[in-house]
Amino acid sequence: MAYKHIIAKFKDETVLLKALTILQEHKVNLVDIYGPFATHDILKKFTRESKLPYAAIIYGLISITAIFGLMYYTSVIDYPINYGGKPYFSFPPMVVIMFLVTILGTTILSVLTFHGRSMVFPGKPTQTINPDVTDDTFYLVVDQNYNPEEIKVWLKESGADEVFEKEL
Amino acid sequence: MIASGIRWPMVAAAKSNNEITRELVAPNEDNLPVWWYVGMGLGTLMLAYGAWAFYMSLTVGLGTWGLTNSVGWGWDIINFVWWIGIGHAGTAFTIFFLVFRQRWAASINRTAEAMTVFAVLCAALFPLLHMGRPWLAFFIMPYPNTRLLWVNFNSPLLWDVFAISTYLLMSITLWYFGMVPDLATMRDRAKNKVSRAIYGFFSMGWDGSMIAYNRYETLTRILGGLAAPLVISVHTIVALDFSISILPGWHATILPPYFFVGAIFSGFAMVLTIMILLRKAFKISDFITDKHFDAIANVLKFGSLVIGLAYAIEIFIAWYSGVEYEMYTFLNARATGSFSTAFWIMVFCNAIAPQVFWFKKARRNVWILFTVSIIINIGMWFERFIILISSLAEDFLPSSWTDYSPTLVDIGIYVGTFGIFICGMLLFIRFIPIIAVNEVKAFKKDGN
Repeated sequence: MAYKHIIAKFKDETVLLKALTILQEHKVNLVDIYGPFATHDILKKFTRESKLPYAAIIYGLISITAIFGLMYYTSVIDYPINYGGKPYFSFPPMVVIMFLVTILGTTILSVLTFHGRSMVFPGKPTQTINPDVTDDTFYLVVDQNYNPEEIKVWLKESGADEVFEKEL
Repeated sequence: MIASGIRWPMVAAAKSNNEITRELVAPNEDNLPVWWYVGMGLGTLMLAYGAWAFYMSLTVGLGTWGLTNSVGWGWDIINFVWWIGIGHAGTAFTIFFLVFRQRWAASINRTAEAMTVFAVLCAALFPLLHMGRPWLAFFIMPYPNTRLLWVNFNSPLLWDVFAISTYLLMSITLWYFGMVPDLATMRDRAKNKVSRAIYGFFSMGWDGSMIAYNRYETLTRILGGLAAPLVISVHTIVALDFSISILPGWHATILPPYFFVGAIFSGFAMVLTIMILLRKAFKISDFITDKHFDAIANVLKFGSLVIGLAYAIEIFIAWYSGVEYEMYTFLNARATGSFSTAFWIMVFCNAIAPQVFWFKKARRNVWILFTVSIIINIGMWFERFIILISSLAEDFLPSSWTDYSPTLVDIGIYVGTFGIFICGMLLFIRFIPIIAVNEVKAFKKDGN
């Protein structure tokens, strides 16, 4: 359900960073920051480290096991063929395909995880705070707090270009 | 952030974020210049020639190509290796940017990745056609089938199928994900409903959320990390197609690293050619500076030294091995015999001409940069010609020696791939920002 949020508008990311520091010091509930690009400092200060790399390792292990299983099954169990007296189970040539399929599987599954976790996918309807969010403006969205007037003062003091309320 | 003294500013002039957006999306929003239509016309003509050659290859068969019993791999595989090599630069730039944190690559990697996607598409066409019956191409995929057969996982040609497919998918993924925030910018600036709907569809509802950005950055770093070993493995596997055989000139352990460096070398040359043309065509000299060209020229200089060394080592090992067939291939067929003209063109273009980049003046002169980049691309084509044809046309048995020359169909397919590449790049220039707008904004204060 949509309810009112305090939103501060910033043109300069360094000013945004200052406001972010002040609000975090006062333990204000922040919803999100929207902006045209992400700097390392903002991400470090505002977001937690993503667990996607751990998922990627698991996907890699799944992929390598699956392709090894397929190659072993096809070459040794289902249809063993004698290529010039070479063993049915020959590991060195398998390494190449295992390597490639690990990368392929990890890529596909990581991308799908990103889509699922961030809920972004081709064709998703657009709901931006303002069209200039993809051009040159940052919006800091603050959740309902017991002291909204005080938050507005902090935001203005930190240098926000505009502070307003909007239902999101 | 500490900016090292030896680096240069990311954007040559002080600009606001809005100015950066306006300048970088101008090629997508302004009226199309005349040269764009000329380029599309030329590309379409090339495509038409290619389509005829494609039709002939499908309906009449591979007999329309210049292949013989001895030279079973001709222009098709030369051009396959050439295109796939060119494609490597885009991924290399992405790795420079994402893994090695070379921020200067941010201005170039979008175009380089576009080049990769189109080059790999062109490359993939050749082995597909070389199968003879491309409509049965799915036979090379391992799936349970009524023929009760599986593919041969021991064959380097099957490795190639996996390598090229994975590489194509990875290049498209890296390219597409890299442009999502910029597609959102295009969506929000779109003036008509159709373009807003199309950009809106592909921008995945991107709203600039930092929480999404955090996962997005993590994902692109993972993809960059995966692309780094992939790009090395792809050309290594292309090299293994040759080095696992027993032909003199092919059966060499030096081929994988030599092919990989050659790929990066030719790809960077093509990036240089394209970036020089784009900088001339659009007002982006504040973003693509002389120092970018300087950096690419230095990579080319280094690549040239490695390539030159590889040529020398190949000849030395042929002599040192004492194998008369190897010695014949390198010292007679290639250096002094039937293929000597192509061999010395290759040596001049790849090992000698790029040495001009030892001089700073040459690295800062656009005409010299452009000329040498074209020379390298020609030289790298001749390198693949020399490797393939000299070994096949004059192998162990003089009775099987033969001449090789391409037919109009061979040439048509090659010209047709140029058509795909030119039209693809021109459409890319028209509809997608050629420089990653969001990344330039993010790093403009930090410098390179």
